[in-house]
This record gives sequence, C-alpha cells and structure tokens, in this order.
Amino acid sequence: MVKMENNKLPRQVYTFLKEKGIREQDVLYTAQTDLNAEGEFADGYLVLTKDVLGIIQAPAAEDRVHSFRGSSLLKAELTEDTVYEEDAQEPDREEWSAQFVEIDRLERLWIENGVGCNLLVGKWEDREHCLTMFTHLQKRSLAKLTRGIEQMKRGGSPDFDAEADEYCPKCGRMYPDRARRVCPNCMDKHNVFFRVFRYFKPYRVNFVIMMATIAVTALLNLIWPYLNGNILYNKVLAKDPEFLSGIGLKPDSFVTALLMLVLAMVATKLVLLLFGILQGVLTARMVIGVVRDLKKDIFRKMGQLSISFYRSRQTGGLMTRVLSDANRITGFFVDDAPFFLVHALTMVATIVVMFAMNPWMALIAVVMLPILFGLNRYLRPRIWVMFGRRHRAERSMNSLINDNLTGSRVVKSFGQEKKEIQRFEGSSRRLKEAEIAISYRQNWFQLVYGGARELASMAIWALGVYFIMSGSGEEMQLGTLITFVGYVGQLQGPMNFFARIPNRWADSMNSAQRIFEIIDAVPEVLEAQKPRRLEQPEGDIELDNVTFGYEVNRPVLKDVNLHIPAGSMVGIVGRSGAGKTTLVNLISRMYDVQEGEIRIDGIPIRELSFNDLRRNVAMVSQETYIFMGTVAENIAYANQGADLKEIMRAAKLAGAHEFIMRMPDGYDTRIGSSGRELSGGERQRISIARAILANPKILILDEATASVDTETERVIQKALNYLVQGRTTISIAHRLSTLRDADYLVVIDHGKVTEQGTHQELFALKGTYYKLQELQTKALQLKGEIGG
Amino acid sequence: MSGTGVGHGPEGPGGHGPGGPGGRGQGGPKGPGGRGPGAGEFEDFQLSQMEKETEEMLRVRYLNDENAVFERTGTGFLSLRVGEEFYPRVVVVRMFPFSDKDEFISIRTAEERSREIGIVEKMSQVSGETARMLEEQLTLRYFTPVIEKIIKIKDEYGFAYWNVVTDHGACNFTIRMGGNSVIHLSDVRILIMDIDENRFEIPDINRLTPAERKKLDLFL
Repeated sequence: MVKMENNKLPRQVYTFLKEKGIREQDVLYTAQTDLNAEGEFADGYLVLTKDVLGIIQAPAAEDRVHSFRGSSLLKAELTEDTVYEEDAQEPDREEWSAQFVEIDRLERLWIENGVGCNLLVGKWEDREHCLTMFTHLQKRSLAKLTRGIEQMKRGGSPDFDAEADEYCPKCGRMYPDRARRVCPNCMDKHNVFFRVFRYFKPYRVNFVIMMATIAVTALLNLIWPYLNGNILYNKVLAKDPEFLSGIGLKPDSFVTALLMLVLAMVATKLVLLLFGILQGVLTARMVIGVVRDLKKDIFRKMGQLSISFYRSRQTGGLMTRVLSDANRITGFFVDDAPFFLVHALTMVATIVVMFAMNPWMALIAVVMLPILFGLNRYLRPRIWVMFGRRHRAERSMNSLINDNLTGSRVVKSFGQEKKEIQRFEGSSRRLKEAEIAISYRQNWFQLVYGGARELASMAIWALGVYFIMSGSGEEMQLGTLITFVGYVGQLQGPMNFFARIPNRWADSMNSAQRIFEIIDAVPEVLEAQKPRRLEQPEGDIELDNVTFGYEVNRPVLKDVNLHIPAGSMVGIVGRSGAGKTTLVNLISRMYDVQEGEIRIDGIPIRELSFNDLRRNVAMVSQETYIFMGTVAENIAYANQGADLKEIMRAAKLAGAHEFIMRMPDGYDTRIGSSGRELSGGERQRISIARAILANPKILILDEATASVDTETERVIQKALNYLVQGRTTISIAHRLSTLRDADYLVVIDHGKVTEQGTHQELFALKGTYYKLQELQTKALQLKGEIGG
Repeated sequence: MSGTGVGHGPEGPGGHGPGGPGGRGQGGPKGPGGRGPGAGEFEDFQLSQMEKETEEMLRVRYLNDENAVFERTGTGFLSLRVGEEFYPRVVVVRMFPFSDKDEFISIRTAEERSREIGIVEKMSQVSGETARMLEEQLTLRYFTPVIEKIIKIKDEYGFAYWNVVTDHGACNFTIRMGGNSVIHLSDVRILIMDIDENRFEIPDINRLTPAERKKLDLFL
C-alpha cells in the first residue's frame, strides 16, 4: 500500500494526472479508495479540481497488506512476525484506469452504505453510475468529498478543513476517545498522580502518622527473622556467654534470656498487629474522605456543564465510569501507593542484610529473584484472560436467565420450556468449562511458580547446610540459616507487589485522568460576565437568522426567522428530525446558536442571567422526569418555597389531584426510582403541575401529550388550557389536533421555516401542513373503523 | 367503499391484518370527516392509495427467469423488467446473510426508502447469467473478508490490534475491547467488527490451529 502524507497522493498519481492534462496546483481535494468493483483490495484515488472529478483505479496487488484505522501506526510492532512484506515496488501506471466526470455535468454524487463496504454513486444524464467502491476506512474522507461537491454545486466554495488528528504524535497510538485526545501511554502520569495527591492535603497529619506506622512495621518485619533465627538458635540455645553479658545478664541465666526473648518476640508481633489495625483505620478514614471530595467535585462540575457535554457521552456510561474510576483510584491509593516505599525499603534492606550475613547464599537468592519475578509477570495475565472468559460466560448466563424471567409469559404460552432449559444447560456448561479452565490454570500456575520458588529455597537450604557441615563459613550456624531463610521468604511480598504495580499504576492514573477531564471541562454555554436581569418579562420572543447544528457543517436549523408576540400560543409542526426540539432547546439556551440571535423582550438571551432565563422559561417535554421524593416535593421542584395550598392548586389545574388522592399517602406518597410506579399520563400531569407552580412567562410544550392515550390527552389538554393563559406558549405536537387552540402555526422542514400562519391560511396553502393534516385525518378515520 | 379497505387481502394471509375485528360499523356513515375544509373527493383518493400500499406490502412476489428480465445498465448496476413494470436500477439484498446467503434474495428499488419489488428464492433457480449478474450486485454491497490465519492479537488500553491473513490478503485492524465488537453467530462462527464497522468473519474457529485459538481466548 502506498503511503499518503498530509492528504497528498503518491507522486506517481500526479505524474499520471499530468499525462491526462490535470495540473497538481489545480487539485482541490484528494481521497483514496481501497476496493475495486470485483470486491478485492486495490488502491484507487479520487481527485477533485474545480472542473472535474477524477476516479483512478489501480489493479489489485496480491501481496498488499491492508491496514484499517488504528492499526497503521502500530504496524511496525505488529508485523514483526508477519511473513508478508510491504509492497515496495512502484505501481505500474500502465495498468491504471481512469474516469473523469465534469462537475457541471454531474447532477449529484452520493455514498451508498453497504455491509462492510460502500459505493460512490454519481448521477448524470439521468442515469446512476457506480463510480468506485471502498471500505468504511475511507468513508469519512469520501463523505467530505461529496459534501464539498454539493457546496460547489450550490455555488459556494467547498471547505475541506483538516480533521483533528486521532493519533498520539509521540507513540502513534490511537486515542481511545477521539474527542479527548489523550494518549493513555504518553500522558503525564506523574502530574496526574500529584494532582490526586493534593486531595490528601487536608489529611496530612493522618498521612504522616500512617507513613510512620508503616515504617515501624517494615523495621519490625526486618527484625523478626533475626530474633527468630540468629538470636534464638545462635545465642540463646547455643548458650553464648558473650551474648548474655552483652545484654547485662548474669552468666548461665539462659532461661531468663529465653524468657526475655520470647517476650520480645511476642511484643514485636503485638506491635505489628496493633500497627496494622491503626494503618487500616487511618487509610480508611483518609481514603473515604478523599473519594468523597473527588465525587463532590465531579458532581458539582456536572451540574454546571452544558447539555452538549451529556449529548456527546452516554450518560449511563458516564455515571458508572465516574464511580468505577473513583473506586479504582481509591483502590490504588489504599492498597498500593502507601506500600510502595515500604516494599522498596524492605527489599533493599533485606538484600543488604542478606549479603552481610552470607554473600554466596545472598547471591543465589538475588539471582532467583528476577526469574521468579519474570515468571509471575508472564503467567498471571494468562489467568486474567481466563477470568475474563468466566466473566463473559457469567454475563451471558445472567442475560439468559433475565430473558427467561421477563419473557416467562411468552415462553409458557408457546410451550417452549424444554427448549429454554436446553439453552440454559448450554450456557451453564460454558460457565462450568470456564470455571474448570480457571482452576486448571491456577493449579498450573501454583505448580510452576510454587515449584520454582521451592527450588530456590531448597537451593539455599542445601547451600546453607553445606556451609554449616563443612564449617568453612565460620559464621554459618543453624540460627543464621533460619534467619536467612526467613529473609528470603520476606522478599515474596515486595516481589508480588512489584509484579502487579505497573498495571495498577497505569489503570488508576488513567482513571484519574478521566475524572480530571470532567472536573476541568469548560461549559460551552456560559453566563455573560455582567448578566442583564429580566424581572418582569413580557414574553416576547424573536429569532433572528438563527443557524445551529450539533456538529459543525451540519446545520439542523438554517436561517430561522420567527417572531412570537407576548402572550400568544404558537404551534410548531414538522416531520420528526426537522429541528423542532432543537429550536426550543435554543430558546431555553441549552445550546448557543452558531449564527444569528435570539431575543426575549428585545434582550439577547446570551446577555441574560441564567437565573432569570431559566425562571421565566419552563419546559414540559415528552420525557418527564420524576425525582426521588414525595409527590409534593416533585411538584414544588422549581419553586421550593411554595406552600401546600399552592401545590394542591397546581395539581388540580394539572388534573393530577384526583389520582394523587387515590394513592395511599396522598401528596406525601413517595415516588421516583425507589417509590411508587406512575403511569405515563400520571408522570406527565405531575410535570405539568410542576410547570404551573414554576409560573414561567414562557412555556414550552415539547410533545407533552405524545405518550399518553387519547382520554388522558384530553384531560391534560384541558389542564394545559389553564396553563397557557397569560403566557407565551410554544407547543410542539405530532398530533395536529393538539394544536387546535394555537394562534398560529409554524411548519419546519429540513431545518427551515417553510410555512407559517393560522390554521386556515396554511390549509389554503395546500403545502406540508395540508398534507400532514390530511394524512392524520385519514389515519384517524381508519383507526375509528378498525376499532369501531 | 367503506369497509373494503380494511377487510382486504386478496392472497389472503389468513384473516390477520387490519380486517380482524370484522364488520361492526362498516356500514356506518363516513368517519369524523369534516375537520378542516376541502375534505371530500381528496379523501377517497388518499384512502384507496393507502389500501394499495398496504396490499403491496403484504404481497410476496417471486421472481424467476419467466417473469423477470435483469439487464446490466452499463453503468455498474442492474435494471429489471417485470411484466409491465420497468426499474432502471434495482438493489440486491440478502434476507438471511448469515443463515443462507444464496437463498431469498430481495430485489428492491434504488431510492433511499427502498421498496421490495420481488424475491429470488434460490440463486440456483435462475439462469447462470442472471445469477452472475445478481452476484455482481451483491459484491457491491457485502464485503466481509474471511480470516484464515491469525498472526497476532495484541490488546492494550481498551483496543485489540489484530494482525491476520484473510481470503482477501493480509489485514491489520483494530477493535474496541468490551462492548460488542465480537459477535458469536454460532458456537464456532464469529463475526468481528472493527472500530469503523468493517467486518471480518471466522466461519469455524475449530479450523484454526490451537495456537491461533489461544490468541482468540480473550474473546471466546
């Protein structure tokens, strides 16, 4: 495959184009394709000048390696054991085929999506032509081409701005999230670490005490084998007189010495135990505090962020990620970070002591160490793979069970119990196999790793015994040997620790980075520096040449002009996806317009204070949300100060009073995610009551009655009639009958206002509105007949 | 006209569909009607149109060498003539791309909200030339290299990088870990979706070597 740099085609293509009479400087845009019409990988090139589109096709090359997105830059590493060589030879231009289409002649150019591949189709002289074929890898750049040509046909100049880079410039890895542009491999982990560390600042006393206890623990751990081996065997049991006088005892009082030693040993263990408990308590206290602070920061930030932030990420995923990230960071700071120093110190000190005791034996121990370490590093991931497999088997079994429980009626009514049991057996068999594989692997690991470890310690014992027997090493006595073996055992802990720490470090710093990203995110919709107040609004709304799109270059609303006089009711009609909801989202400033301006009472909403804007613009939408709490609390959500009488009145106006009173605890009934279930209509009426109590000057009804049955709709409709009095109301509805009472109607189609006027005017126009009206009437009739 | 529209179904898919509850209210006066001016004659037209569309939707038309003539358009596509109808371009789509890719081929109109013109029940039932033409069109729509050899799979930071040999040559591609990048079509057959939704298939994992299967362990 020939590499393309900076969106430039390989040299030969330009040479080829020159032969065909196209100069390099005239080329506006280029793209590559990767399939030929026979469905084989083959290089192809698209070249656009202001007059012509060139489609060049090279023949399929047999030894071509095809690299899809994300893999090309890691290729050097990935293909190290590939048998295939990169195709380095010059493409043979003789075999190239080319087709040139004049832009003027081209009526339209578009991409047709297939399964795993796409077609570029052009239409001219009233016929559709299959131009070229490509995989999804090239789709983005070809989509830009078709958009650009569309712009050219409309008389504008095409804009082919470069896309944000999706690869880390340092190591070439692809960013896991294109929008974030953070390379998990190259990010500054130290910086992140110290930033997390700052959260520990309020707990520094705690922290210092903890480090001190850890240090003492490490020291005592170092002393223990010495007491247990050297002193017990070599001094006390061996009845060393020098030792006795050394600690100020009378000669021959070995029993006293033994007693003292036992006491010292017990005391050591006791201190170790106590300090262990103390450490646990301190870390728990500190970590819980830190996690709470972190979550508080995140939650506060999430409140400030604009809707667009949530739109670009899946909210559910976001939440679980934040929580699990916080937990992972905690885990690292509780279980790993504090012990880093301890383990490092223990390891160094142990090795030094060992060398001081017996260099030869120490050498064996130290040589064995990296081998064991390597084994550990190598074998453990294999067990993890197995755990992942069990996890997947478990998950699939759980979803099968869930399927059966929720679908039990269907299973029974079709008499498929037997088949379901068979399915379950299959799934449970897979789980069993996964479990067996895990225990097999674990045993195997124990065998290999434990064996290697035993071998090492046996070698040390053997050497030690040899030294004792031969008497060559004068200091080598039984006690020394026992102490020594104790030290070797003590190296285990740090070794395991260092084997797993790199992964844990990378994971937790990654988590921390993601959390900081949320904390650092800047809301897109910002309040003006000196916000203007809107205390007694009239409710007059003006949209002036408003253009907006969720993605750049893809406007959802184009040049919308609209004037909604104070106190009037406007209905917005249009197909789904026409931009109706977007329009009202802009009025309540969930997003900022890209061009143009929206004014309330003549003041641009960008200059209004958030507080006044949100207080005066309320929305009742199709997705009602009931918060955890009582009915009364939910109704008074936007007006916490409301008294019980006002709440009741709002509920009455919303037609909610009766059903509320039928619930056991009346207005104090707990609803929301943990409480009583409400039907769609009930939820809707509670959110209408909420809006009534908020008493906004501008009311937006976004399909407020779409999800309820006709009867409930009638009740809600009645309730709404109260609500709209004295307010400016914008109502979006799918059922045109809902908009009967609108003062006038606005039809939006493909992001533009296409028709506006009163019902009669629009009907007379015989346009979109007329068609919609007709269709719905027909549908209603049909329904009436069927149901009738 | 009332009633006919709802009780239809000439090929009679057996009483189901909108005709269900039967005759009540059929003879009654014409529906709520009069909302808005100018209903009248337009109404009849619309309703019969709807009927016709519903009828079309329920009809199954099998295409074969006798009733359908496919022809290459010379611009890379196919045209179709069925009786009186002529379609300058048709799109060929598999109904069961995994279960049986050579049976039940739907022939559809080319517009964005395409409509089914007819069904070719078996590729083997049409003439060789027709089958070839349909095959060509299917090539334009389906592209799924079959993995024959796995050289390496490396997973790192939430992605798995694959290095494989397929029936279309060597490929490097990247999938997202977790999520649904690897789909089990059966116990032995898997479909792999890369980050751009390019597809790769392993028709039978048992045909891979044990070493290759071990590399797949992460996803099985």
